[in-house]
Amino acid sequence: MAWALRSAILGHLRVPVAVVAANRSSLLAPLWTTTVRSMSSHDDHLEKTQVIDRILDIVKSFPKVDPSKVTPEVHFQKDLGLDSLDNVEIIMAIEEEFKLEIPDKEADKIDSCALAIEYVYNHPMAS
Amino acid sequence: MAFAMRVKVPPNSANLQEARHRTFDFFRAACRSIPSIMDIYNLYDVVNPSQLRSTIAAEIRKNAHITNPKVIDMLLFKAMEELSNITEHAKQRHHIIGQYVVGNQGLVQDAANKDENVSNFLKNFYKSNYF
Repeated sequence: MAWALRSAILGHLRVPVAVVAANRSSLLAPLWTTTVRSMSSHDDHLEKTQVIDRILDIVKSFPKVDPSKVTPEVHFQKDLGLDSLDNVEIIMAIEEEFKLEIPDKEADKIDSCALAIEYVYNHPMAS
Repeated sequence: MAFAMRVKVPPNSANLQEARHRTFDFFRAACRSIPSIMDIYNLYDVVNPSQLRSTIAAEIRKNAHITNPKVIDMLLFKAMEELSNITEHAKQRHHIIGQYVVGNQGLVQDAANKDENVSNFLKNFYKSNYF
């Protein structure tokens, strides 16, 4: 009944429509309200420094690694003297830490800290 | 149910490279099932996941010197069988702890205090026939 009333009223009212100027920006809201999307679950990316810290912690706590040699650029097999099985183990530790699942093809290419940091940082599901 | 999901394809590896790839695949499958293993056998107070990973890697490394792809396939088959047994709860907690947790740190025969004045000859003798 309210619906019928509403349509009856709307049929008789004239509401002035504001004309949007052609050169006005398409965002009707100010910029600051759209860059910070507080309800979105897609913007909670990890900070790069956080990623670097966590990955370095993982590598340092690996029993065969000398913690003093670990830098963000270190290569697992060449600099740290690990073998390929250790490489896979470190990648699995990274998977566990960031709750990811890295497919085999990508995992084969991750050979150094720098690549690992880059991969995790670019992964949308890292947490 | 769990064993059906992870049956590996029997055809033999053509070369060492493929066998190596299968080893890494097995290692990844084992590491991915570690959380469920810790949950089934309630190992949270006993061991970390990273220690279990190291243990699995050490077991794989014991056979790292083998070059025949068929032998590697056979070892992988046995490893898959062991992993399936563990994940489908066919083993019990003391098996896991005795074989994979304590074994690397303080298994009774490795402990320093026991038999410390027993000769090396006897220790080697207890371990294996060939030394």
